[in-house]
Amino acid sequence: MITLLNSYNRQIRTALLIGGALIVVLLFFGLPEFMVQSSIRRATPYILGSLAALLASRAGVLNLAIEGKMLLGAFVAVAALYKTGLDPMVGVLAAAISGGVLGLIFAILYLRIKINLIILALAVNLFVSNATVFFMRTNYGAFGTLADPSINSLPTLPLPIVDGIPFLANRFSNYNIIVYLSWVLVVVVWVVLFRTRFGRHIRAVGENRAAAEAVGINVTLVQIFALTLSGILAGIAGAFLSIGVLSQFVDNMSAGRGWIAITVSLFAFEQPVAAFFTSLFFGLAEAGSATLQTDASIGLPPDILLMIPQFATLIALILVALRIRAAELLKRRNFAAQFGRELANLRRGVVAGD
Amino acid sequence: MTSAVEMRHIRKYFDSTGVVACDDVTLSVEKGEVHALVGENGAGKTTLMSILYGLVSADSGQILLDEKPVRIHHPNDAILHKVGMVHQHFKLVPSFTIAQNIMLGMEPNQLGFINGASEAEAVRSLAESFGLPVNPNLRVADISVGLQQRVEILKTLQRNAQVLILDEPTAVLTPQEVHELYTVIRKLADSGRTVILITHKLLEVKEVADRVSVMRRGKMIGTHQVADVSIRDMARLMVGREVILQVDKQPAKPGDTVLEADNLLVAGTGGIPAVFGVSLTVRAGEILGIAGVSGNGQTELIEAIAGLRPVDGGRVSLLGRDITHSNVRDRREAGMAHVPEDRMVMGLNLSTNLDENVVVTHYHQAPYSERGFFQRGPVRALAQKIIEAFQVKSARVGEDIRTLSGGNLQKVVLGRELDGNPTFIIANQPTRGLDVGSIEFVHKTLVEARDNGAAVLLVSVELEEIFSLSDRIAVMFEGRIMGVLEREAATEQDVGLLMAGGSLDGEHAHEKAAV
Amino acid sequence: MMGKRIRSVFENAAIPILATILGLVVSSVFVVMAQSDPIQGYQRLFCEGFGPKGCETFGDLIIFHPQADDGSTQTVFGPTYGVKGHPLAIVLERGTILILTALSATVAFQAGMFSIGMDGQLVLGAVVSVFLGFWLPDQIYALAGVTDPEAAPPALLTAMHLFVPLVCIGAAMIVGAFYSWIAGYLKVKLNVNELISTIILNAIAVKLVGYLINFPLRADFNNVARTRRIDDTAWLVPFNRGLLPDVDWFSGSRTGIGIIIAILAAIFIGLYLWRMTAGYEQRMARGSSLFARFGGIPSERAAIRAMLISGALSGLAGAIQILGVERRVVDGFASSGIGFDGVLVAILARESIPGIVLVAMFFAGLEQGAINLQFGNLPRQLGGIIIAFIILFSSMEDFFRRNIGRIQARLRPPKIASVVEPGGGGT
Repeated sequence: MITLLNSYNRQIRTALLIGGALIVVLLFFGLPEFMVQSSIRRATPYILGSLAALLASRAGVLNLAIEGKMLLGAFVAVAALYKTGLDPMVGVLAAAISGGVLGLIFAILYLRIKINLIILALAVNLFVSNATVFFMRTNYGAFGTLADPSINSLPTLPLPIVDGIPFLANRFSNYNIIVYLSWVLVVVVWVVLFRTRFGRHIRAVGENRAAAEAVGINVTLVQIFALTLSGILAGIAGAFLSIGVLSQFVDNMSAGRGWIAITVSLFAFEQPVAAFFTSLFFGLAEAGSATLQTDASIGLPPDILLMIPQFATLIALILVALRIRAAELLKRRNFAAQFGRELANLRRGVVAGD
Repeated sequence: MTSAVEMRHIRKYFDSTGVVACDDVTLSVEKGEVHALVGENGAGKTTLMSILYGLVSADSGQILLDEKPVRIHHPNDAILHKVGMVHQHFKLVPSFTIAQNIMLGMEPNQLGFINGASEAEAVRSLAESFGLPVNPNLRVADISVGLQQRVEILKTLQRNAQVLILDEPTAVLTPQEVHELYTVIRKLADSGRTVILITHKLLEVKEVADRVSVMRRGKMIGTHQVADVSIRDMARLMVGREVILQVDKQPAKPGDTVLEADNLLVAGTGGIPAVFGVSLTVRAGEILGIAGVSGNGQTELIEAIAGLRPVDGGRVSLLGRDITHSNVRDRREAGMAHVPEDRMVMGLNLSTNLDENVVVTHYHQAPYSERGFFQRGPVRALAQKIIEAFQVKSARVGEDIRTLSGGNLQKVVLGRELDGNPTFIIANQPTRGLDVGSIEFVHKTLVEARDNGAAVLLVSVELEEIFSLSDRIAVMFEGRIMGVLEREAATEQDVGLLMAGGSLDGEHAHEKAAV
Repeated sequence: MMGKRIRSVFENAAIPILATILGLVVSSVFVVMAQSDPIQGYQRLFCEGFGPKGCETFGDLIIFHPQADDGSTQTVFGPTYGVKGHPLAIVLERGTILILTALSATVAFQAGMFSIGMDGQLVLGAVVSVFLGFWLPDQIYALAGVTDPEAAPPALLTAMHLFVPLVCIGAAMIVGAFYSWIAGYLKVKLNVNELISTIILNAIAVKLVGYLINFPLRADFNNVARTRRIDDTAWLVPFNRGLLPDVDWFSGSRTGIGIIIAILAAIFIGLYLWRMTAGYEQRMARGSSLFARFGGIPSERAAIRAMLISGALSGLAGAIQILGVERRVVDGFASSGIGFDGVLVAILARESIPGIVLVAMFFAGLEQGAINLQFGNLPRQLGGIIIAFIILFSSMEDFFRRNIGRIQARLRPPKIASVVEPGGGGT
């Protein structure tokens, strides 16, 4: 996958990015405010989740346990606030830590004990989805939903400057801290990956492990760090699900978002900024379908609409593959044609290379 | 002269293979010299240098650098002690620029942030100070192999390496690049650095090294001044006996043309051209040897003839039948057999048993299968037949082959391929990595097949093998056949010249290659 | 020969057994955290999952002393004591789908295709079979001019009883196979990672089935959207409902022809993989794809065939779940992840066919036991936790072996043998 993405042409990547951004911007200014707000909220777990996914896969580890880490974060955030009366930020912090710890354990099991990556991820996801419900029942006696008046959700905050601009204020301000954090993290992850030593080591490890090893980079350590950071991001995404919206934990509340986040990262060619826009698109599609669900007058059913991003990802995968195949064929054809010319020149008595 | 590197009584045993790769090896390299470390495949030279570079840790022994004992357990230790290594397979990140690759692991930074411009500038001045100019902003994926090697060398110099280990540096280079490399190596030695050259090309040793150490089967045989030993002496030391791989064979009685390749055009992996208009014929009852430095298109040519790689132009025919675009099975049914270069991955499936390995070419035919079901009796009988006819020691019907030695594995491959008397046999590096006894067995088998009327196409990078087996010799260079010589008329000098891209009679070489 | 065989079976079984024990031990921490007694908790869990009605202790699983109505006690063999039904019958019912999806995963894995698309293939198979299960009989009745199915001629009903389920199953298998083929084709022709494509295809199938159930196939205004029930003629009738004379052992379960089909499928897949040339082709393509190409094996065809078989098995699993057990598709069925468990079973069984049957039964029993677990404060999720740990431990095999190997190597003096360097040495 990594090599596949790296061989992908830069121009196409840029075009996709610009195209994506254009669509998103157009849609945003053409949509009613509540839709924009709903889209951004729904996009937030995807932004954080896809950052988590791309951070891991840039370091050469396909992290299929994002779903589990997200779910754990969601649960821990609520558990930390349950009857403690603490500030919801403590919940976010607890979720981030729990995601990070799970990421660390995952990294150690994979890198030191050398458990097969995919099996490990499936086991971790299975464990978290059962263990969260288990503790919900045994520790809190809750069935299906863990909620309590003592759990405060994150307050919405006005965004300075933007809040003063009338048109933008209703669209891009008054979200909770995690939403803003996710925007900042897009930039942070980009800077880390492309402008820092650590990021360069991550990319080197993911792209050519042997090269990194040969210059003395501790590959295992880099991967452990990347997976831990990935876990932290996924944990925050989970906290958004539980205390960013409703302030409750529901059985299996990540509901496949972790898997979708992986496809977002793939669709975005593991580029943070592209992942941001792709997430917005997913959020938009979800918000749209939620609206349609309540508005029976429109014919397009929500499930069908939610299939669109999935289809898009599949098609993107196919396009990338086709492009690589085409490039190879083109090279071949050029080679054959050029050779034919050379041969003709030789027959005419012209020495090749002159 | 002071010693730059001393390795004393180094011993290394590999659990996984149960092999002692280095057995009480002692090596001393002087400061400022170019020291060649030669030996056959698996002699332990790469392991020894991996120990020096900290990639492998020795079980026992001592390393001294500049006459001080040091402990090297990790490449970081080696780098710290100013030892650098250029690996045979370059360790570069394709999507990074030259500057990013050279600076990898030691990026100049402020609080972890990298300044790309100053990085590029540093690399540029480094490169110029050593007279090895590069454009630091090019992506490594876009530059030539020779330039990639230069990047690797600069990488070690950036780390201020005083001892440079070069592992088989010329294996992937064009002759022109090889000469440039020699110049670079001399320049480095003249600047007071020590260069250790791992190689098995003796000509190269003569050309560039001051002293040479010979390893054989995990042991150090001795160190000599290059000026004092002839290539023949070195070869004798490497193999432990006189190189008389003279195979006992009668003159060939060539019959009709069996295989004909006409103007073959083949792209290598990733669509990069590899074979340019190769034409050759192999007749019944003769061995045509293809000589050449590895990586000059032999693999692609063989794969194209064997049906493992698509042909982009030209034509292949077997017994007059066009097989240019036939699949492997059709070719095999038409009488083709193939002893591949890599028996561990291509020739055999080590994860399964002997029976399933020997039946791979015939599994779909009676009597081995009926109505889609395997017939165990005939399959086991085939396995037993091969074990007996080819004296495959310690192999048993129905059991795993993973534990067999290289020689026995190759016997299994030969047994399978020669079963049913094929009319055309491809043998690509059939003796690579084998012990002497097995080599002789393989050679004898191939000559027997020839005498029974098979056409044999042999590819080898070992000239001795080409000379002792072939009836005619074709020399390949940069994807072209530079000339085809009768065995009797061929001399090592002529073949060597053609292998290096030269021609025997001026400008005609090009034409001969293409038409 | 025989001794060797037994030894190799034992060696293969040792790690899963060890992993199971470790998994149970570690999971007992969770039991303790729930303030329950692990021994008693596990006793209840296993009795509910595997023991006869009235089972109290581990011993009862094997030798059971039920009290008869007149107060006297008997001594019976636990697994066969089926008065008022036996939980093992329900284990068979639940195990059917696990066996089929695990076989599906195994066929794909044994071709070197890491497909986890069983879930999507299964739900599509389910929805196709439920649709045909009510639509096809409707058409037949209409054609035959029957207005009241109850009054249909017995000959017609008998014919339909044979014909309709076959068509439903066949269609489900074709749809599953096609869905799996997409991932196979993309992998073989375009080198699209099959793990990723099956994840996406799963998501698409789940959404598609969700849509079908909520809209075109929705039968009524029930709170939870659901399809019509399949016609009686499409029903794979359970053992204890008319098909066979009532066997008490099966009471309370919906075990039927499905388990027989699953066992037959297991035998067929065993033969296919290990006795047929087609299975050989796909195994060689997996073990060493270069070797397969070199030998002239049509490996692309073999890989695609494997994906088709894999998909057909998952489709079959979906059809059996609907035709034999649920008889309609209810919203939420699609998103329950029912097809993922098969992947886990296949992994734990290390792709061995008898292993799959055993592990599937074990998983089914654990889940079943956990659902009925009435002990202290223990939620049924204990079953999932145990399974997760068993999988973790069983995949630590390399770690165990490495460390055992290291200890053995210490004790054994090194051989001074021939000359091989790491990574093939210098050319």
